[in-house]
Amino acid sequence: MTKVKPSTLRLGIVEMGRLGEIALRVVAANLQAVLGIEVDFLGPHEVPENAYQAHRQQFDAGLILKHLSGCAFPKYPRILALTNLDLCIPILTYVFGEAEMGGRAAVVSGFRLRHNEDGTAVSIDRYYERLAKVALHEVAHTLSLYHCEESLCLMHFSSKVGQLDKLHILFCERCAFMLQTSLRNLAEEFASRHRKKPVKSDKQKAREARPGPSLRS
Amino acid sequence: MMGRIKILVVDDELIVRESLIGWLRKSGYEVQGAEGGRQALEMLKTKEYDLIFLDIKMPDIGGLEVLDRVKADYPYSMAVMITAYASVETAVEAMKRGANDYLMKPFEPEQLTLLVEKLLQQKKLIDENILLREHVATRMRYENLVGSSECMQQLFSLIEEVAKVDSPVLLRGETGTGKELVAKAIHAKSERRYGPFIPINCGAFTESLLESELFGHETGAFTGATRAKKGRLEMAEGGTLFLDEIGEIPLKMQVDLLRVLEEKKFHRVGGAKDIAVDFRLVCATHRNLPREIEQGTFRKDFYFRLNVIEIEVPPLRRRLDDIPALAHHFLDRFRRETNKPVMGIQQKALDLLQSYDWPGNVRELENALERAVVLSKGRHLSRDDFAFIFRSGTTDLSFPNSLKEMEKKHIERILAMCDGNISKAAGLLEVNRTTLHNKIKKYRLKPSDTAS
Ligand SMILES: [Zn+2]
Ligand SMILES: [Zn+2]
Repeated sequence: MTKVKPSTLRLGIVEMGRLGEIALRVVAANLQAVLGIEVDFLGPHEVPENAYQAHRQQFDAGLILKHLSGCAFPKYPRILALTNLDLCIPILTYVFGEAEMGGRAAVVSGFRLRHNEDGTAVSIDRYYERLAKVALHEVAHTLSLYHCEESLCLMHFSSKVGQLDKLHILFCERCAFMLQTSLRNLAEEFASRHRKKPVKSDKQKAREARPGPSLRS
Repeated sequence: MMGRIKILVVDDELIVRESLIGWLRKSGYEVQGAEGGRQALEMLKTKEYDLIFLDIKMPDIGGLEVLDRVKADYPYSMAVMITAYASVETAVEAMKRGANDYLMKPFEPEQLTLLVEKLLQQKKLIDENILLREHVATRMRYENLVGSSECMQQLFSLIEEVAKVDSPVLLRGETGTGKELVAKAIHAKSERRYGPFIPINCGAFTESLLESELFGHETGAFTGATRAKKGRLEMAEGGTLFLDEIGEIPLKMQVDLLRVLEEKKFHRVGGAKDIAVDFRLVCATHRNLPREIEQGTFRKDFYFRLNVIEIEVPPLRRRLDDIPALAHHFLDRFRRETNKPVMGIQQKALDLLQSYDWPGNVRELENALERAVVLSKGRHLSRDDFAFIFRSGTTDLSFPNSLKEMEKKHIERILAMCDGNISKAAGLLEVNRTTLHNKIKKYRLKPSDTAS
């Protein structure tokens, strides 16, 4: 298991429905620590109307992603929605989260993470840990990472919470390398797109370089 | 499952198709969709799929009918039926008719993962058995580049230039054009010529075998790994590694190789020790990689690493001038191998060989010479000894689409075979002369041009 080097990628987190500030902070801290990216909170965001699937009483995660990636958050190449809705996709009865492969948006729900398969509730710490793991997994998909065969790697596909609990909060060597490559490519792309823009003032730079997640909501 | 795992999803409902394709792509498989049975059967003609998801109810050709065709024509492909709750009986019927499994929409996430894992594991075993059998039957052959045509002369000088530097080279060209020979020539002219030349055809192994072939493995890395083995990367130390059919490398292994190229070290499967390597990489493909990058089936960063220098190896039809030299080169070899007193090739036979478009390229010409030498009764190969190349439609990769096009091509060839002699051609085609004249006019064929 290898650590990913820090990068300048900025990710914006929106809250869809009510998940609670602590949950948001835990996820943000884990994204920063494990992926080495910058994270900002962008406040609450409405649930797109078309996402509700009346016949299943669930929300289509794919439609939420489509809505999100079309939203204007110009400073954020990646957007993560955290939610308490019961998510599904057309072919699967439920998902913990969903992301656009190599795309912009990801969504993660706490709905199915609070209980075990036998229905017993889990401690709040365990719940936060699951939430962070799913968030890391989905954000990594937006960085072009595939599912991984290493059973302890964050990119291993977990269909059940029990499997999720077994994962380390780390990527295996191969996935870590892949992340590094994707993040570097993104940074280069971003730099070349913004090269012609006027130079930032020192004040601006200082503000942007401020460490830690800043609550803007 | 030779090379990358390929999956086809057949469902007329767009959202189901997109959803399943999207999910499978997240595991790095090469996945394509078909919106109905008809399109699926068309796609199956051009590509072999390891796993096919088939919706039972489709408006044009139903899933069961497609299943029957798959079982009859592509017995090595695995089929999974997809059904709605309403049609469980049909699913049972499908199992009786040879489907490997079935799933009801929407699937439980765990069901889907376990099913895909199980079927691909089964498929792997089947393929490895086939490979084992074929391995015994294949014969190794070595040959050299031959050609005095302008495009080959350009290729030779390009090889000289490229051999002086150590950058990765990507060879592009159709199947059978001799890309491995070009790779060998680059190696032989380079500073690394005293090092080994290690070729590997990435399309000839299953995913896990390819991994241990390339990276090697340690004892106990998997069942059957009773002793440690060096991979091709290690064997290529100080020399040239030639990866043929690079387009067949699974996405995950593309990452591993990219890492080796960047860090110049790797470790064996099941091993932890870093092994430093230094080799020159030459890759080859007949696929259109830029298009595959757009479709997400090939990594862009890996492509840019490989493609520092790109060389196109021309198809044989663009260097028809080389055919006499190549034909004699192969004749010499097969005469020695077969001990038959075939001393030469008649001019008319050479003309005939030059009038054909060789979709299978130099390899097809080589096979044609071998067959002609083996079957020939005379001391010189005649036009009749090569008549079979026009008869076997199966080798024609540039297969015409319409019946008209097919007819036009066929008449053209027969005319060429008969030196433009209308009576002879009409006789072979079993039509009268007037009909043939009319067809020639209709397709604007000039008998004098097609004649040799
Ligand atoms: Zn995933
Ligand atoms: Zn991994």
